[in-house]
Amino acid sequence: MGMVMGTGTGTGAGTGVAAGIGTHMDTGIDLRPLLTVDDLTIEIGGAHVVDGVSFAVLPGQVMALVGESGCGKSLTAFAMLGLLPPAAKRRAGKILLEDTDLAAFSERQLRKARGKDISIIFQEPSASLDPLTTVGTQIAGAYRQHNSVSQRVALAKARDMLVAVGIPDPDRRLHQYPFELSGGMCQRIMIAIALICDPRVLVADEPTTALDVTIQAQILDVMKKLVAERGTSIVLITHDMGVVADIADHVAVMYAGRIAEIAPVRDLFRQPAHPYTALLLASVPKLDHAPKADLATIEGSVPQPHEFGVGCRFVERCPLATQKCRDEQPPLFARGPEHRAACWHSDRIGEITGVAA
Amino acid sequence: MSADLGNVLEVRDVAVHFEGRGGMFSRSSHTVKAVNGVDLVIKPGETVALVGESGCGKSTLSNAIVGLQKPTAGSIRIGGDEVVGASRQQLNDIRRKVQMIFQDPALSLDPRSTVGATIGEPLTVRGIVKGQALKERVGQLLTQVGLRAEHADRYPHQFSGGQRQRIVIARALALEPELVVCDEPVSALDVSVRAQILNLLVALQKRTGVSYLFVSHDLAVVRHICDRVVVMYLGRFVEMADRDTFFANPKHPYTRALMSAVPEADPEVQRGKQRFILTGELPSPSNIPTGCAFHTRCPLATDICSHVRPELTPRADGALVACHHA
Repeated sequence: MGMVMGTGTGTGAGTGVAAGIGTHMDTGIDLRPLLTVDDLTIEIGGAHVVDGVSFAVLPGQVMALVGESGCGKSLTAFAMLGLLPPAAKRRAGKILLEDTDLAAFSERQLRKARGKDISIIFQEPSASLDPLTTVGTQIAGAYRQHNSVSQRVALAKARDMLVAVGIPDPDRRLHQYPFELSGGMCQRIMIAIALICDPRVLVADEPTTALDVTIQAQILDVMKKLVAERGTSIVLITHDMGVVADIADHVAVMYAGRIAEIAPVRDLFRQPAHPYTALLLASVPKLDHAPKADLATIEGSVPQPHEFGVGCRFVERCPLATQKCRDEQPPLFARGPEHRAACWHSDRIGEITGVAA
Repeated sequence: MSADLGNVLEVRDVAVHFEGRGGMFSRSSHTVKAVNGVDLVIKPGETVALVGESGCGKSTLSNAIVGLQKPTAGSIRIGGDEVVGASRQQLNDIRRKVQMIFQDPALSLDPRSTVGATIGEPLTVRGIVKGQALKERVGQLLTQVGLRAEHADRYPHQFSGGQRQRIVIARALALEPELVVCDEPVSALDVSVRAQILNLLVALQKRTGVSYLFVSHDLAVVRHICDRVVVMYLGRFVEMADRDTFFANPKHPYTRALMSAVPEADPEVQRGKQRFILTGELPSPSNIPTGCAFHTRCPLATDICSHVRPELTPRADGALVACHHA
């Protein structure tokens, strides 16, 4: 267990790793994190666009990485599979699948791991499928990548996967091309491809953002079922707090490359401890909100990487900011069991939530 | 039905059909009935939400209302003036009264034009103001949407997504329209920016009395900003009600499915709520099911639903619902 608890870097970001295991340790149940991202730092053009990001995911749990465009959530996801774009360089950090550090893998080793140990699905399914190959062949191909079996056996396996992701009439669908399927169907095919080798971790990058809400609900249900039946751990990248509320066990809120707050899902929504989280939650219209009344807003916009200062990166937009926030980066302080927030002034959070409530 | 001059928008029995051909080798042709007989009235200062999934016809209807798409049948009046069959000159005058805001501001702004030129264009084209007066009016519009007058000399790429949507809104307001059709105006924006734009739209309505037709799939946003809600499925309206009635007591099974599908940003509410998940997908608008178009996915469907199309009928609380069983 020491390996997950250690790693306290100067920034204190490493302490976030503990989120997700604390209570289980107390009960003595041995639930070791399946995936541990430890102090991940990614540089683009001299700026740390992902800066000391750490979190851990238990088997069969969903960790949501939430944040707005440019917060580094997708880069974090890509880094987990060794899929960073050429301009992005990993400067530090480990991606531990149990005790194995994927970040230290060669490209050859990564190819073996992708699909089998860790898989990814992207936002736009039609852009990820080969338009010239039937979906059956694509799913079977993913299986044969890691298993020496005949095409016939692989196709039978692919058919089972179609059933598992809820595609009706699988025998006909196997022989169809992506253009013959709707967006929701294509996303199910992507999930089938990602899961056919039974990976232990699934990274889902905005998997439902391009879909209609009724189809989104179906896809989220498929994902929940897979977690329950196969014990797959999911790292879900999203900006939709509704999706988070629906499916996540833990949430890491990212802002400008850093984790601002990390907590079990209910604690995060009930008692946000970082001003950014609080404002983000208050800016979403709620059931009890008076119609057309002003919504809470966050003034300004996310800083560009070249504008990052030495202190808290939210300082320019934060209603609680003081000089200390400008001068010193806040570490992730414990705010409850498994709940951490990188803010010097979490005790004053009522000044925001009080107004927003 | 006589035209009420007090209404900003009157849509009567509008249909938009597209004659489609099959594939390259197909001999048969088919008609896509994107909009299939809808009625809608919007009053001054009112915000009406048009809700539905991709392919339901909501964008085709919006395009018909702003004159970008000719309806196959029916009448569309804006401020009392008939759009359908109007001459070019008449359309020009009518278009002054209705403007549109699209989803992605990056795609609705000319990257080579300064913001000032973009916002001023509708005014110069119509010869309304020029010279110093134009500059002042553009400055006014920019301030009205929360930007600064000196931003007029900058280009779209120098602004963030939220600021660009403000520019688009300023341009839409330049001619002081009576109706602005907002097609998913905040869907492409980040959450924190979304709230800014929604607040702005509400504030502008209070100040100018403009009406909005608000096309959206986000029911939380709809509940926040709209006075009345219309739900569209495969080219027809299936439910229409004022906001409070609509959200307190949704009636059509499709409406209830939509509401249950939108995840509430609150884990307690979301995980405690009764789920009503639809199976299957939206049928193709070129092959709309007989009877009630929703019967293929509807948990309440009975025999009558596949034969007889339910009309929109009023219910005790004022809602209009097209369902045999709701």
